[in-house]
Amino acid sequence: MKLRIVVAEDAVLFREGLVRLLEEAGHDVIAAVGDAVSLVEVVDADRPDLAVIDVRMPPDLTDDGVRAAREMRGRHPGLPMLLLSQHIEIRQAAELAGEGGFGYLLKDRVLQVDDFLDALQRVAAGGSALDPAVVAALVSPLRLHSGANVVALTERERDVLALVAQGLTNSAVARQLFLSERTVEAHMRSIFQKLRIPDSGDDHRRVRAVVAYLTK
Amino acid sequence: MTSTPRRAVVLAVCLYATAVMIMAAIEFRPGGASPDWLLAAVAGFSVALGVFVAWRSTNSPASGGLVLLGAAPTATAAIEAWGESFGGPGSIPGAHIVAYIAPGVWVFNLTGFVVLASSFPSGPLPVRRWATISRLFLLTGALVVFVVGVQPEQFEADGGPLPGAPPFEMPAVVNAVAMLATAVLLVGVLAAAVRSVVVRYRAGDDVARSQLRWFVLGAGSVPVLLVAGWIAEVIGASIAVAYTPFMVAITVLLPVAVTIGVLRHDLFDIDRILNDTIAGLLTTVVAAAVFALVVTTAAQTGTAQLEVGEASGLAAAAFVTALLLYPVHRFLHRLVGRVIDHDRVVVLGAVRSFVDDVRDGTVEAEQVEDELRRCLDDPTLLVLLDVPGRDGLTRLDGTRYDGAPNAEPLVTLDWHDRQVGALVLGRVSKRRARIARAAALEARLAIDVSRLRMELRHALDDAHDSRLRLVEATAIERRKLERDLHDGAQQQIVAVGMRLRSAQRRLLPDDPTALDLDVAVASLEATVAELRRLAHGMRPALLDDGLAAALGKLAHDVPLPVRLYVDDFAVPELTATTTYFVVAEAVANVLKHAHATRIDVRVCADGDGLRVEVSDDGIGGVQPGQGLAALEDRVAALGGRLLVHSFVGRGTTIEAVL
Repeated sequence: MKLRIVVAEDAVLFREGLVRLLEEAGHDVIAAVGDAVSLVEVVDADRPDLAVIDVRMPPDLTDDGVRAAREMRGRHPGLPMLLLSQHIEIRQAAELAGEGGFGYLLKDRVLQVDDFLDALQRVAAGGSALDPAVVAALVSPLRLHSGANVVALTERERDVLALVAQGLTNSAVARQLFLSERTVEAHMRSIFQKLRIPDSGDDHRRVRAVVAYLTK
Repeated sequence: MTSTPRRAVVLAVCLYATAVMIMAAIEFRPGGASPDWLLAAVAGFSVALGVFVAWRSTNSPASGGLVLLGAAPTATAAIEAWGESFGGPGSIPGAHIVAYIAPGVWVFNLTGFVVLASSFPSGPLPVRRWATISRLFLLTGALVVFVVGVQPEQFEADGGPLPGAPPFEMPAVVNAVAMLATAVLLVGVLAAAVRSVVVRYRAGDDVARSQLRWFVLGAGSVPVLLVAGWIAEVIGASIAVAYTPFMVAITVLLPVAVTIGVLRHDLFDIDRILNDTIAGLLTTVVAAAVFALVVTTAAQTGTAQLEVGEASGLAAAAFVTALLLYPVHRFLHRLVGRVIDHDRVVVLGAVRSFVDDVRDGTVEAEQVEDELRRCLDDPTLLVLLDVPGRDGLTRLDGTRYDGAPNAEPLVTLDWHDRQVGALVLGRVSKRRARIARAAALEARLAIDVSRLRMELRHALDDAHDSRLRLVEATAIERRKLERDLHDGAQQQIVAVGMRLRSAQRRLLPDDPTALDLDVAVASLEATVAELRRLAHGMRPALLDDGLAAALGKLAHDVPLPVRLYVDDFAVPELTATTTYFVVAEAVANVLKHAHATRIDVRVCADGDGLRVEVSDDGIGGVQPGQGLAALEDRVAALGGRLLVHSFVGRGTTIEAVL
């Protein structure tokens, strides 16, 4: 599926490479900008199918990309966005992950071109794509007690959730963990219950479970 | 209005002028003996001083006494010369009457002294008993003149210079009693005069005492030099040589001392001069006595060989005297000082015992200010220190002294030609400044210790500050490096990889170069991962998400179960970084040495700071300082401290408070 894409990235070399890669993959890069302000302007003017956004950009060179994404979420609900970062900074992006059409990847994932293009398509279709390293950092076997609200998932449930967070389907998770699909479904039900995620009848429930767990 | 002191001066000057005229009359009488002009000239000095004092210090009763100090001896000399001219070739009118007075008139030489003693520095004492001393002296003088005048040996009949026989015959007993009574009376009046000085000194204020000390210095030398004159005469010196010092004392030394006392009593440290002088004199007397005693004893015991005995006795006496000289002098100095230089001796004694206490460690050196305030009775006194590396003067509590240095009454303290500090006195006079300086000198140890301790404290503060600055600079540098790695090198490598991928896509499907490109891209990915790891070691980027997130990642990478408890609160960047590395290093230590099965990490707020605990269930037995130096340095750089609780077989807890 051919996508109309906006790229926001301040490092010229990386931006050029990315644009070329996307175009060669048959996508239409309608704009490539170097800072967060231009990004918002471009998106406002011509709503794309997907925005690929660098987290650290001018003007502040901190988390400008995340802030721009949050702003655009308000103005263009459902706009798919893929954030790219040099390293793992999740907290700021976690709330964005709560809805569909959101991805967060480390920049060097781009080099695995096919996986990257898959993730692109998944996000554009309203799914999610969280970097395995990001998920691993958060879905770890430790309890972060930042309050009384302690959620105790079993080790198996955490494994399942980690894969779900990457956007895998139940069957894909089952294959990866050498389990039956029914067992994976049972684990997911248990997770939803423990995290008190109501049944909304769509895929977003799964993402919300991940986010709920990560931000607890 | 002519005040009483001034009238006295005028009268006394008239007396001097009259005496000089009489002497001139005698001088120009043909054939007459020449009168004592030297005496008149020297006495003129005292008269001039008296006039000078009267002019400078109008109300000082001392001016009359001063003039009398010169006028009386001149008048006495004139009368004696006048009387002596009787019967000679140069006999002048009235000599036959004056000749009766002349033999006893010497007693009036003392007039100036008595007047000064009974009225210096502020007039006669208000009590009548003391006020009559001068009059009593004049009466006694008249009595002396009379009693001496009627002595039989003064008359021609007994070979004396006076004509005829005594006016009346007195039994020898009556005569002797009269002589004795007169002598006793004279000594009594003189003693009363001296006594009035003591009374005045006791009752006087600081200024009066200081002035009296000058008087005592001058007057005290008179009897001492008189005795010295006697001794010199006995030894065989000529009368001129023997009594010259005495005459100089009474006509020069005493007037000068009194003048200084009136006009510039603050000129020198009179207390110390007087103390030293008297102690020195007494020491000489004691030494002479000891010498004489030993010689006598040696002479009595050395009967067998008299000459040898004498020589060895002298040697022994010299030895014993020399041995005793210093301790005796010290003892006398202190004893005399207690009376004459009371303030200084008491103050210095108190300060000395304070310094002893400082040396014994029973009081703090910094209490020196309180001690000096108490000793010098000056509750607003300040001790200021000149601490190297700091501008201006510093107070003992470390604050800067910002009084204008020239406006305040400062006593600078210099030791070895270096200013170490200063005193600011609340009550000022030259005398107080002198005593304060002496007290500060005595308290030198305490002041210097305070100064050195302050220097040390400042140096430590500076060292701590600069260490903190270094740590902060390092943290900033690490952050910058981390950014540079991420945004620079890493991005470029990825961009190169993307070009390779892009080139790869354009190749034919079975081109073997594609495999080469896969390998190249894989090694680029490995390089990026390595760069990320390096950057993480400089400063975990996850700290941007907060301490909890960064520690979570850390715990995740540990191959042991880690229970992590992190309170949710804001932590400054530097503290967060330090906490992260403390935990990382502590965990690494556990993995290396402890053989533990689990690790607990707890980070919680602790007052203004933060407490980090890393505990394990390993073998324990860690000694403080054992491989923990790096951790300790990190913690100490932030002014924190590191505690290690470790018992063999019961695990280890490392606790850092930041």
